[in-house]
Amino acid sequence: MVKTADKIEEEIRAIFSGDTPWVTIVWDDPVNLQTYVVYVFMELFGYSKARATELMLQVHNDGKAIVSTGSREEMEHDVARLHEYGLWATLQRGDQL
Amino acid sequence: MTSTEGFKRHGDHSYIAQFADSEKEVLLNLCEQIIELLAERTDHGHDDPLAAMVGITSHDSPPEDEVLHRLLPNAYADSVDASEFRRYTESTLRQKKQAHAISMRIHLKSSDDGTVDLDHENANAWLGAINDIRLALGVRLKVENSSHEELELLAPDDPLRGVYAVYTWLGWLQETLLSALIDDADEDEEAQLGNS
Repeated sequence: MVKTADKIEEEIRAIFSGDTPWVTIVWDDPVNLQTYVVYVFMELFGYSKARATELMLQVHNDGKAIVSTGSREEMEHDVARLHEYGLWATLQRGDQL
Repeated sequence: MTSTEGFKRHGDHSYIAQFADSEKEVLLNLCEQIIELLAERTDHGHDDPLAAMVGITSHDSPPEDEVLHRLLPNAYADSVDASEFRRYTESTLRQKKQAHAISMRIHLKSSDDGTVDLDHENANAWLGAINDIRLALGVRLKVENSSHEELELLAPDDPLRGVYAVYTWLGWLQETLLSALIDDADEDEEAQLGNS
């Protein structure tokens, strides 16, 4: 019993100590309006209008932009919310860009 | 009845639009189609009722239908990771998208004179629903591969011409709601800066 608890604790520690950052990437999409993309960034991430506009332009001009960084769990949450609002988003390890 | 002027901000965090009967019909019809399309993807014959209850889906590959695929995209480039993520999250995503379209439908249905009055949360649901409809129409119109000029020049008898008209109208409608919302957000931002 104790052994199981220790094992679980070890697992959990391993999950949280992973210091490799993950990133959320938004890809360019011909349908989504520029204003809409700006609004979604402001609404979901609390970014200022200026920051959100900068990221939208990066998506538009470069085809993609990193919109958030953090743990894998956090990025999965961000991607799910972006999908809810119809933005085309994926996540990946930050060191595999 | 005159056609809508789109959304206007009305006082604090209230967004109002009035739709003609014909516009209301078009919007309701599109909402129904999105709701139905998402329902088609519902899990059939789930082996494990408990898994179904906690939202684990039996789907581990993306939808074959192009429109559904765009609405429920992969979260990872890697197909193994994408499948795993989909199993645990796709049913929630489907429910959220359906909830957006249902919210839009309820507002339209409960309005006798075509006026809808949205608070911030409802406005977000409408934005999401309108966007899903535009994504769906965009797939059918192959917006990915066609320029707007090409779409503008569709023959008068081409059924896609009507679809394109609805698609651009929805874009305009979404834009009016966005500018009302962003005005509000700007004022909130300025108020916060003023307070600090």
